[in-house]
Amino acid sequence: MSTPASILLVGLGGAGCSMVTRLSAQLPPEVAVALLDTDARSLSAGTAATLQLGRAQTRGMGTGGEAALGLASAESEEAALRRLFAGVPVVVLVTGLGGGTGSGAASVVAGYAAECGATVLSFATMPFSHEGERRMRQANDATVKLGQKCHGLVVVHNDLLLQQVSPDAPLSESFAAADSWVGGALRGLASAFAPGALIAVDPAALRSLLSTPGSPTLFAYGVGQGEGAAMKAARAACDCPLAHAPGAVAKVASLFVTVAGGSAMTSTEAFEAVAAIRTRFGGETSTVLCARIEPALGDRIEVSVLGASLPAPKAPAKPKKGAKAEDPAQPIFEFATEESMRRGLFGGTPMTFIDGQDVDVPAYIRKAVRLPASP
Amino acid sequence: MTSKPLPSLIAVIDVGTHKTASLLGQIIDGKARMLSFSERRTDGVVKGTVTDLEKLTQCVHEVVNDIERGSGRAVEQIYLSLSGPAAEGERVKGFVAVPAHDGKVTAKDVTEAIQSAKRLEPPAGRATILYMRQPTMLDNRPVSNPVGMAGKRLEVNFWRVTMEEGNMRMRVGMVNGMSIKVRDFILASHAAACATASDADKQGVLVIDMGAGTTDWILYYKEHILCAGSIPVGGEHLTNDLSVALRISRETAEDLKLRFGSAMHRENDVNQTIWKDGDKGVGDQQFNRGTITQVLSLRYQETIEFVRKDVLRRLEAIFPGHAVKLDQNMIPSGVILTGGSASLADAAEAVQLVTGLSARVGIPNFENESLRKPEYAGVVGLMTAAITDAPPPVRRPRGFLAQLKELFRL
Repeated sequence: MSTPASILLVGLGGAGCSMVTRLSAQLPPEVAVALLDTDARSLSAGTAATLQLGRAQTRGMGTGGEAALGLASAESEEAALRRLFAGVPVVVLVTGLGGGTGSGAASVVAGYAAECGATVLSFATMPFSHEGERRMRQANDATVKLGQKCHGLVVVHNDLLLQQVSPDAPLSESFAAADSWVGGALRGLASAFAPGALIAVDPAALRSLLSTPGSPTLFAYGVGQGEGAAMKAARAACDCPLAHAPGAVAKVASLFVTVAGGSAMTSTEAFEAVAAIRTRFGGETSTVLCARIEPALGDRIEVSVLGASLPAPKAPAKPKKGAKAEDPAQPIFEFATEESMRRGLFGGTPMTFIDGQDVDVPAYIRKAVRLPASP
Repeated sequence: MTSKPLPSLIAVIDVGTHKTASLLGQIIDGKARMLSFSERRTDGVVKGTVTDLEKLTQCVHEVVNDIERGSGRAVEQIYLSLSGPAAEGERVKGFVAVPAHDGKVTAKDVTEAIQSAKRLEPPAGRATILYMRQPTMLDNRPVSNPVGMAGKRLEVNFWRVTMEEGNMRMRVGMVNGMSIKVRDFILASHAAACATASDADKQGVLVIDMGAGTTDWILYYKEHILCAGSIPVGGEHLTNDLSVALRISRETAEDLKLRFGSAMHRENDVNQTIWKDGDKGVGDQQFNRGTITQVLSLRYQETIEFVRKDVLRRLEAIFPGHAVKLDQNMIPSGVILTGGSASLADAAEAVQLVTGLSARVGIPNFENESLRKPEYAGVVGLMTAAITDAPPPVRRPRGFLAQLKELFRL
């Protein structure tokens, strides 16, 4: 099953599927959608291609939080997954870590996609601190594995989502924030590859940016409206909480910036925005710029930024078929794990639990308090 | 506590997560005169737990060498502080039915009750480090000295501190390596309290010793220790939160914490811009002061809240079924906050806010002015505790031969 679309958006697990389902309404036509889950109920939604994982293992009932079961379920559908990814240049995998399907299957699914030749970018959400020790550990382990399998990994902390909205806002509002970030990234990527861009790029540019699996990925997204919309959007992207999350990369060597705006957007504006982004995030080695006019945006301008800190002079040798990537002889880039990101100087020490929370994680993160903006 | 009389020379050592401090004092008329003092950065301890014994041992040796060199005296025995979650405390009781016909308590009854309390074995794999006396009850009424009083049921209580055997042997071995004996262990929170709280305070006071790696607390009621505990969070966590939030190094975070930090977050902090170095030169960074106070106050107040919950949890274990309230009626002297992290600006105010009790920062009471800072409450308190907890010297009647020997210094 090969798709003509340039991007395949894959929702994996309960959280991934629901996010992708919410997003699928606002996506450009260049993005195809697929839903993967062990739980048959997540897969009933409309137009997307669906694939139920682990029919033999779970009988459509979900994994009950068992990562091992999620892993086995994904491996049992290897042939179907490879068919799904065949011929797709870019796969964006959206998943929630901590549960069984996401934590177990993410690295396997990402691995198949990468082996099929796709550039794999993953968005993974981490559980709330209050979900307890087991899910957090499972999620931490999964990020390390996933980081080694896909080309780019953006981690979204659920705790961070809570910081974005006022304390009395409904929960759906905080998830809407996550949707808008990932949605923005997808629209940015999709429009970059679509014909009709002012400055167009091809998927290979993304590939060369994200050519080193396991290197930390920077992601930011911002929207601006009205006068000076481009600068507003750039500033919003600079202040994007995803780029400020603890442990996120501060400066990167390579950047991939997409600027999309209404018909009034000028190239000067677009370049100004990119200059502001470069001041904040770096991009000394290379900055790939893509600009596109989308009349539907009106006077709004969207800026999305992807970055990788390790410059890649040449593509790494593809692992031979059948060779396990975990082979200790193969150098694996030290991935800045979730643990060290959130626990800072305490990374690597045993977790200390009080009332079910790891107290080495900063209090403001666990309490989901939004910090005042930096000057 | 040991029953040996106090020597005239006392050495104490307080091994903390951040620094190791040692004090050598000469005891004159029941008061300590400082002979020498030394402190060094501790190596090999993270969050109050020993991670590298070799480094820690070396650090302890250096500090002890310092005080020996500084005073010109050899240290033979030393008091060690005991802090952090490794030292677990619990209440143990001993009963005796008063047997005499006239129903009066004798000294022998008290000894028997004490023995029955101490017969209770600690949990497997743990060794008893020390017993601290709690109020003695005669027919469920607290009495200070029951001997000679009439009653039927005598109950003695102790706060027993136990430690994992391997951990204890490691600590003792650290000092024994220098041919120095561990004279006794002293609970660090008790030491901090001895340095900062008066006897009048001990009618009812909660002392919180917030160090770098752990926050130890101890509750006194009617001059006795009621309970004690430890939270594995301390000043390092403040620094860490700041370094994660601002993405700066540990050193910069530590510096900003001391210069601009506060345990209270105020509205007008938010629009203050502060500079890291202040010279606005290359590499200087500016930060929002509101971010710093927000991050620190959240952590500080949360830690105090953990302490408050821990105190209540332990009180409920001691008085099951009673609605225990931690209020000014129970502890009229409120909270004394001490230890290195008590120096953070507005710390007492934050404690007041969280606990609803009056709070003050405890400055150790010591003749030497350089040690009158909250961070030295531990080491100064060890000295105070060693003196005050020692039994009064016992005069043994000596035989003629012994006196003769003394005379000729044989």
